[in-house]
Amino acid sequence: MQKLSPIKGTLDVMVLKALSWTPMHGFEITCWLEEESAGALEVEDSALYQALYRLEERGYVEAEWGVTENNRKARYYRITTEGRAQLKAESARLLRYAATLTAILSGARG
Amino acid sequence: MRSRFRRYLRLPLRRLTTIRAQVDDEIALHIELRIEQLIGKGLSRKEAESEARRRFGALPASRRRMFTTARRKERHMSVRESWDALRQDWRYVLRTLRLEPVFTLTIVLTLALGIGANAAMFGIIDRLLLRGPTHVVDSDRLQRVYVNTEFTPGEKATFSAIPFAMYSALKDARTVEGAAAFARNKLTVGRGEGSELVDIGLATWDFFPLVGVSAYRGRFFTKEEDLPPTGTRVAVLGYDLWRRRFGGDESVIGKTIEISGEVYAIVGVAPRGFTSVRLQPIGVWVPMSALSRCRPDWPTTWQCQWVDVIVRLKPGMTPHSAAAETNSLYKGAYTGKSESWLKATMSLLPIHYNGDGTEPTELSVSRWLMGVSSVVLLVACANVSNLLLVRAFRRRREIAVRMVLGITRLRLVGLLLTESLVLAGVGAIGGLAVANWGGQLTRVLLLPNVEWSQAAVDSRVFLFSLLVALATGLLIGLFPVLQAMASELGASLKAGTREGGGRRSPIRAALTIAQAALSVVLLVGAGLFVKSLWNVEHLDMGIEPDRVLAITAEWPRTQGTGKAGALTNDERIARRAYRSQFYDRALERVRALGSIEAATAAVGTPFSTSFGVDLRVPGRDSIPELPGGGPYIAAVRSDFFKTVGTRLLQGRDFTAADRAGSELVVIVNQTMGRMLWPNEQAIGKCLIIGADTMPCSQVVGVVEDSHRYELREKPAMQYYVPMGQEIGIGGTDLLVRPRGDLEDTIELLRKELQSLDPTILFLRIHPMRNAIDPQVRPWKLGASLFAIFGGLALLIAALGLYSVIAYLVSHRTRELGIRMALGARTAQIRGMILQEGVVLTLIGIAAGLVFALIGGRFVNDLLFDTSPRDPFVLIAVVSAMLLTALAASTLPAWRAARVDPVEALRAE
Repeated sequence: MQKLSPIKGTLDVMVLKALSWTPMHGFEITCWLEEESAGALEVEDSALYQALYRLEERGYVEAEWGVTENNRKARYYRITTEGRAQLKAESARLLRYAATLTAILSGARG
Repeated sequence: MRSRFRRYLRLPLRRLTTIRAQVDDEIALHIELRIEQLIGKGLSRKEAESEARRRFGALPASRRRMFTTARRKERHMSVRESWDALRQDWRYVLRTLRLEPVFTLTIVLTLALGIGANAAMFGIIDRLLLRGPTHVVDSDRLQRVYVNTEFTPGEKATFSAIPFAMYSALKDARTVEGAAAFARNKLTVGRGEGSELVDIGLATWDFFPLVGVSAYRGRFFTKEEDLPPTGTRVAVLGYDLWRRRFGGDESVIGKTIEISGEVYAIVGVAPRGFTSVRLQPIGVWVPMSALSRCRPDWPTTWQCQWVDVIVRLKPGMTPHSAAAETNSLYKGAYTGKSESWLKATMSLLPIHYNGDGTEPTELSVSRWLMGVSSVVLLVACANVSNLLLVRAFRRRREIAVRMVLGITRLRLVGLLLTESLVLAGVGAIGGLAVANWGGQLTRVLLLPNVEWSQAAVDSRVFLFSLLVALATGLLIGLFPVLQAMASELGASLKAGTREGGGRRSPIRAALTIAQAALSVVLLVGAGLFVKSLWNVEHLDMGIEPDRVLAITAEWPRTQGTGKAGALTNDERIARRAYRSQFYDRALERVRALGSIEAATAAVGTPFSTSFGVDLRVPGRDSIPELPGGGPYIAAVRSDFFKTVGTRLLQGRDFTAADRAGSELVVIVNQTMGRMLWPNEQAIGKCLIIGADTMPCSQVVGVVEDSHRYELREKPAMQYYVPMGQEIGIGGTDLLVRPRGDLEDTIELLRKELQSLDPTILFLRIHPMRNAIDPQVRPWKLGASLFAIFGGLALLIAALGLYSVIAYLVSHRTRELGIRMALGARTAQIRGMILQEGVVLTLIGIAAGLVFALIGGRFVNDLLFDTSPRDPFVLIAVVSAMLLTALAASTLPAWRAARVDPVEALRAE
C-alpha cells in the first residue's frame, strides 16, 4: 500500500494532537504519528520540523532542552494553552470537513 | 532569568550563533535516532544512514528555514520582553513614587518651577528675537539702513530716521532685491467722542511685497496710490483695530475712516499680528505719500528725516557688501550741503535693532534672564539629584538584594532613568502651567508694547519644554546612576541600612554647595536690578513726571487760500491768535477747578519737544558746547516751574505780567548760569535771543537742571522765556498738576476743554510719566524677573537643604540615640546638625560671591547708577542666604535633639 503524506494544513493539528498527551521531542512525534496512523502516514521529517518551528513562533507550543532516556540532549516540545485552544478549534473544523468530504465523495445522494 | 536581560534591547550576535547550533543539534539527534531505529529493523548501518537522510528531506534548505523561523520568533520575544520590562519598571516607579507623596511632590514642584521658568523665558526670547516679526518672510535677509555721523565733534550719532530721498537712491541697488520706506506716527482716528489716538503706519507701496505679507481681506496699496508728492487717501486697517472699531465687519472694505480729520477709503485689512518689521502694533496703514508733508518737496529733499528704510538682501549677499553699495549710492545721491551729512556713512543692521542702532534693552535683559532661568533649573536639578541620592542611599540594601536576585546593572540603570524621566515629565506638565501663567503675566505687566497674538504656550514652547524635560530627566538621574554603577553589592548587603546612613557623601555636599552658590549669584543679580529700578524710579530729574498731566489739543487741518492750499501769512497769524486765546481761556478754566493745584502752558515740554534757536551772550565770542547739546529754549507761562516741580534756586518766576510786549526776561538753568558766568551772579545778566538785532533779555531767575528726554542725560544748558516773547518756535502743550489722582482728573479735564472749543478734533491727555515708562521698562523687567528667579532659587535651595538635612537626621536616629545615651546634651546635638547645613551654605556663599563678582562686570551696562559690587546688595544677599540656611536646618536640628535614646536604640 502506498503511504500517505499529510494533506496541506493538517500536519500542524496532528502535531498538536500528539503533544496534547505529553511533551515530546521531534523524533518521538514522528514515531507517534506512524503508530497512530498504523503506518499509513509517512511525514517527511523536514516538514515536521518546519511545522514545529512554525507552531513555536505562533506560541502554540513551547520548546525546552531536556534529556532523553538514553541521556541524550533533546529539544522537548510542550503544547501551550493557546495551542490547546487551537487544537480544539482546528480539529473540529477538520472533522466537519472530513465528514462533508466523505458524504460528497461516497455519493450518498447518487 | 539572567538570559532574559541579555535580550534586553536586541538580539546580540552570540544569541544568533546559539540558535544556529541548537537547530543543528536538533537535526543531528533526529537523524541519529532514526538510524538507530532503522538498524533495529535490520538495515545495515550504511543503508540506514542513507534512508534516514532520504526521509528527512531537503536538509540544507529546511535547516535554513528552521533557523529563519527561530530567529524571527526570538526577535519578537525579545521585543515583548523589553516592553514587559519597561512596563514593569514603569509600574514599580509609579508605586514607589506614590508611596512617598511628600518626597515626590517636592521634586515635581521644584522641577515644575525650574522648567516653567525656562519655558516662559523661551517664549519671550522666541518672540523678541528668534521667530522674527509675524508674517514677515525670511526676516534674516531684511536689514535696516542707518546713518552714522557726528553732529557735534567727537559725538558719534547713529540713527535710522532718514530722508525719503535715500529710499529713492536705493532703487538701482544690485545687492538687494528691493528697498521700502516706512514710518509711524501717532494720529487721531475718528472725531470728537469716539476718537482715539492710533499708531499709523506710513509705508511705500512696495513695503508689503518686500516683507512678504499679504492682506487678510482686500489688498494693500498699489503703486498708483502711492505716487509722491500727494498719494491717494486709502487705508488698510490693522487686524485688532478692525475688530475693535468695526467689530470685524467683513463689508468694511469701501467704507471710510477719518485720520486727523481727513477721510480715507478702506481698501483692506492686515493679517492678525502683522506689525511691520518691529513688534509694536500698528492701527492703520496708509500710503507714505498720502500723509507725508513735512515739506512740499519731501520726496526729494534731504532736510526732512522721518522714514526708516529697509532692504532685502539678495540671496548670498552679505550685509557688508550691501552696506558698501548703499553707502556709495548715498554719496552719489546726496545733494545737500550739511557738513554732518556730507561725512555721513550708511550702514545696515538687523531690523529688530533700535532706531539708534543699539540692540533693544529688553532683548539684552531677556537674554540675561534666559541664562538666569537656566541657572534656576540647575539649582532645581542639583536639589532633586540630591534628594534622589539620599533616597538611593536609603534604598541601597533593597537594590543590593535585587542585584543578587538577578537584576542586571543595565536594568537597574534603566529603572533609575525611568524614575528620573517620569519625575521630569510630570514636572514639565506642571512647568507648562507655570509658563502659561508666568508668560501671560510677563507680557501684560512688563512687555505691554509687543504684539502677542500667539498663546503663551505654543507648539514651539511646548517642544522646548519637552527637550528641557528630557535633559532634566537625564541630568537628575545622572548621579544616582553613577552611584548605582559604583556600588558594591556585598558591602551593602552585609551592612545594615542604618549604619553609616549619615556618612557625608562628597557628591551630596558638592550639590548642596552648588545650590547655595548659584542662588547667591541669582540673588546678587536680583539685588542689583532691584537697586537699579529703585534708582530709576527715585531719580531726581528736576521735574516730577508722576505729578503732571500733559495735554495736547489737535484741531483739524485747515485748507488755506495760499499756494497749493497752504495757509497765507495772515491766516497763520489769525490761527495762532485763536489758539493762543484758547489756551488763555483753558488755563483760566482749569486753574479755577478745585482739584487742580497748578496749571501752565509751554512750548517745549519735558519728554516731548525741545527747541534750539540762535543765542548770543554779550561779552563772549561763543557759547561753550556741552555733550548734552543745547542750549535749549522753552517758552512758558507763569506757574510753569510750580506745575512741573522744578525748584527755583534764585530770583523770581515769571508772572502773568511777563508776556508779549512786556520787558524781555529769561530764566536759566543752573548749568547754563554756571557755564556762561562762572563765579558770577547770573541774575541781571543779558542774553540776546534770536537775531543779533534783538534787545537784551534780562536773566531774572535760576532754576535747577531738569531732564529733557532721557533717564540718563548729560547736563545741558536750558533757558526759559515768557510765552509770547518767543520767536520761531511753536506747538503749545498745557501742563496740569492735579491735587489728587492723575487718572481721575483726565476725564474731567477732557470734558472741560472739549466744551470750551467743540472744534477740537482730539485731546491727548496723559501723565508725563508715560513718556518715560518705556525707558524704565527694561529695569522693571530685569528687576521683577531677576527677583522672582532669585527668590525661586532661594526657596528651592532652602527646600533642598531642609530635606537633605531632615533626611539625614531621620536616618541617623541610632547614632543620635547613642550620642545622647552617652551624655550629649540637646544643645550639642542641635549645634551639630545646624553646623552641617550652615558650613555647606557658607562655602556655597563664598563660591557664589566669587562668581557674582566676576559676572558683575558683564551686567554693568544694564545697571542704573549701581555698582555691580554694591556692598549693600552683597551684604543683604549673604544675610538672606545665611538666615535661610539657618531656618532650613533649625527644624531638623530641633527634631534631632528630641530623639529618645531608648526608643532609637530599641528600634534597630
